[in-house]
Amino acid sequence: MKLSRRTTAVAAIAGAAAFALIATGCSSGGTPAADSNKPITLTLATFNNFGYDDALLAEYHKLHPNITVVQNKAATSDAAQTNLFTKLAAGSGLGDIEAVDGDWMPKVRKYANKFVDLASSDNKDRYSSWKTAGGIADGKQIGLGTDIGPEAICYRSDLFAKAGLPTEPDAVAKLLTGDWNTYYSVGKTFAEAKTGAAWFDSAGATFQGLANQYKNFYEKNDGTVIAATNPDVKAAFESVLKASSTESSHLTQWSDNWTAGMANGAYATMLCPAWMLGVIQGDTPKLTDWKIANVFPNGGGNWGGSYLLVPTQGKHTAEAKALADWITAPAQQIKAFKVAGTFPSQVAAYTDPTLTGAKNTFFNDAEIGKIYIDRANAVKVTPFKGATYGSIMTAVQNGLTRVETGTQSVDDSWNQVVTDIKALG
Amino acid sequence: MTISPLRRRIRPITIGRPSPIVYVFLAIVMVASVFPLYWSLLIGSGDSSTINDPNMSWWPGGNFFANAASVIGNQSVNFWKSLGNSVIVSSVVSASVVFFSTLAGYSFAKLRFRAKKGLLVFVIATTAVPTQLGVVPLFIAMSTFGWTGTLGAVIVPALVSAFGVFWMTQYIGQALPDELVEAGRIDGASMFQTFWYIGLPSARPAAAMLALFTFITTWTNFFWPFIVLNADNPTLPVSLATLQANYFIDYSIVLAGVLLATLPLIALFVIAGKQLVAGIMQGAVKG
Amino acid sequence: MTTSTLRAAQRTPRRIAFSQKLGRWDIRFSPYLYISPFFLLFSVVGLFPLLYTGWVSLHAWDLIGGQGGFVGGDNFVWVLQQQKFWIALRNTFSIFLLSSVPQIVVAIVIAAVLDTNLRGKTFWRMGVLLPYVVMPVAVSLIFSNMYGDKYGLVNTLLAHLGIPGIPWHSNPLASQFAIASMVNFRWTGYNALILLAGMQAIPRDYYEAATIDGAGALRRFFSITIPQLRPTLIFVIITATIGGLQIFDEPRLFDQYGTGGANSQWLTLTIYLYNLGWGQLNFGRAAAVAWLLFLVIVLIGLINLAITRRIASNEGRDS
Repeated sequence: MKLSRRTTAVAAIAGAAAFALIATGCSSGGTPAADSNKPITLTLATFNNFGYDDALLAEYHKLHPNITVVQNKAATSDAAQTNLFTKLAAGSGLGDIEAVDGDWMPKVRKYANKFVDLASSDNKDRYSSWKTAGGIADGKQIGLGTDIGPEAICYRSDLFAKAGLPTEPDAVAKLLTGDWNTYYSVGKTFAEAKTGAAWFDSAGATFQGLANQYKNFYEKNDGTVIAATNPDVKAAFESVLKASSTESSHLTQWSDNWTAGMANGAYATMLCPAWMLGVIQGDTPKLTDWKIANVFPNGGGNWGGSYLLVPTQGKHTAEAKALADWITAPAQQIKAFKVAGTFPSQVAAYTDPTLTGAKNTFFNDAEIGKIYIDRANAVKVTPFKGATYGSIMTAVQNGLTRVETGTQSVDDSWNQVVTDIKALG
Repeated sequence: MTISPLRRRIRPITIGRPSPIVYVFLAIVMVASVFPLYWSLLIGSGDSSTINDPNMSWWPGGNFFANAASVIGNQSVNFWKSLGNSVIVSSVVSASVVFFSTLAGYSFAKLRFRAKKGLLVFVIATTAVPTQLGVVPLFIAMSTFGWTGTLGAVIVPALVSAFGVFWMTQYIGQALPDELVEAGRIDGASMFQTFWYIGLPSARPAAAMLALFTFITTWTNFFWPFIVLNADNPTLPVSLATLQANYFIDYSIVLAGVLLATLPLIALFVIAGKQLVAGIMQGAVKG
Repeated sequence: MTTSTLRAAQRTPRRIAFSQKLGRWDIRFSPYLYISPFFLLFSVVGLFPLLYTGWVSLHAWDLIGGQGGFVGGDNFVWVLQQQKFWIALRNTFSIFLLSSVPQIVVAIVIAAVLDTNLRGKTFWRMGVLLPYVVMPVAVSLIFSNMYGDKYGLVNTLLAHLGIPGIPWHSNPLASQFAIASMVNFRWTGYNALILLAGMQAIPRDYYEAATIDGAGALRRFFSITIPQLRPTLIFVIITATIGGLQIFDEPRLFDQYGTGGANSQWLTLTIYLYNLGWGQLNFGRAAAVAWLLFLVIVLIGLINLAITRRIASNEGRDS
């Protein structure tokens, strides 16, 4: 019965395959005693471009010959987010170090017990207090800051010239100094000049600038959602849309059309967090007229910035912690800034000549070091961002898009935003 | 529902050659079939500005290989790995589906056992069950076993197919005369020998077609792999989706990648297109 | 093929001395053994997850925290109260209709044309089937690019004709049409071949009799071809329903965000399910959506089946 037995075996194997897995539990390793000479590989999971290039990783290998660092890059912040939560759920598969975007960091705080406490005497006073606070959960420092997103204004000097506006960064900064109404009224002047371009790119992007200037915009400090009832939110929503009706190119941020519009000169100004420099250069490599004005409506604002976390499910948490500490130290973060424009969140970096003297040729030799240090110092408010911040922002952004694309009136859209926010409960 | 195993020569409705209008119509359909791929070649062989160029040429530019190289070189796309993964997953799933479907189909078509009719009805009913909708528990199970991110998570749920069983049952029922099976049994062959030496060879053409269809279906599948696999170990459709999710969208690169990812199946189509056509027409339900 | 089979049959297999008993067991249990892999695996990976979805939907269930407390029908109540759920249901049907009705009409026409005495039959048949091997993800990326609102090919061509550009991504109907066109691109040729096979099975003497009675080509088409094609059509419709109501790939890649549009213009049920489960980490609600979608598909399947039954009994042909 040789043949018959073979079928039985095949059937048995096939049937058992699905069940056999139950026996193989996943081994989530703890922290073995750090054996300082055993060769190990650490994976560093980031997204977009953190500016951690091969040279930087090789440098660490030189310092620690037994450690090889491999970087896994996700294409977008969203992809990284889904990946992080999916693997947290799976209990394995995360990198030794995971990068987390400041806007969804609050969602991660809920799972603080799955991450290692990274606080040490080395990094105690490394950051401004608000950046440190963003990485704390359940009294643990689960995240170490990488970069921040202090905002300036990027503008197309050629379009400014066409509209009869000043073109030099200092003059533009002077022109725009003031609050949001100043920004909009210059936009009105620009629009009246009929250059064929809009003043700013989209209501959604502009709204980000406003939202980051309030302490409690969407949520109270205890996490209670106030977005639907907070008059500031409604006022910001309506004022941005009022300006947008005559001054925006109505191209939804990050859409193909927004990208194409940037290359085709569809808009003359953009809110410009430091990391946006890399985006503009990547999208419009052939343009030569982008400049940066050292100014921001209403003083200052921060948009974005990230953290590095060490998941407890890793096999080498002690070594990972050491690497995270090293790579977020000022010296390394300045190197990353030069690679990708990710502006350091480390206070000590701001007095480092490498940073203070940094220039960017694509932006007509803008003194990006000086500009963004000024912009960072102008940030006066630290917005509170709770677990629902990201979802609420999506609902509001969708509301702005609906009005900009002409699908809904401002009032209808706002009512829909309120409904959507309630549905998050 | 019947599947005709034999290629009958059928006289078409019209005896003479059809009018030129028919050919014109077919040519239009043909252009519509090919155009999107041609469009990706146009854009994919240009550079980032081609897409916004109002006077773009209708002839491909010379950048295709450069663009393809940047897709392949892109760390987050993992092109070679995803291609390899797609080949592995599609091949394993096809082999498994064909083997188990032929085995079950032979049993349903040629063997006698109790509850046969009921079980067969069950199989036919399950062809209409959208198993895709079980993703939530499937994901919970995969997480429990620590399988997320591995190819096993994509392969195991696809190892069998109700459609495959139904297809093989139909085919073997018609293509294999009962007398042959009986003859084998009279000669003293065991059940499995009869299946192996008589059932299997007779089902070969249908098995080849089933393999072809399963391969294509698995190759193009996106939803479940997208949920359960990660960017560092994707199948081709999953890695292709990450191309669009980049912050700066250079469509010359995206569409070069699309073309690159489509090429393997186009090659398969060139080789086995005839069989595909025949397979679809045989699987069709006859009135 | 037949000769080799015969030869195989004539080859006397090696006699192995096994007892009568074993032989009897062989005959009795082999049939079950051969179908068991399918049934076992299908139960584990097909049936069990579907049933377990029901169990998950009755609990508070966090993607990471895992199973919470029993909440009864709360998840269903919540989902049914969501405007988004109903919008998604509407869109799913809308895209389904937009992608199946024109598709079937065009497929019938193509099939009828292919059913003539063509030169180069195989060439034309392969030509219409080509889109089938392009993966939906690729189709979606190509078409999303062609449907760009401001700088897309379609609107550029319309502009040449003096027609204002269509807001493909903001107008609900336009976005659904765009997504439906991707589905149509991939499946029309495939279905045309199935219908062609159905047409070729129609006895030719029907046509001859009709011709003698003086019926023209159109008349023959509507009074013979279409009625005779009904079972094939139903089969095509059923398969289109099962696939179409679960549409995910095309709408997911129609823009950068993948969430179905700012106004949920092209939010489908499967995307909604994904957003709830993997976006909001709420598996309980995602499972409730999965079950509701499952019920919708089964319901439509049963309606289809009832119609098929009636037609099949008229046809009187059975496997």
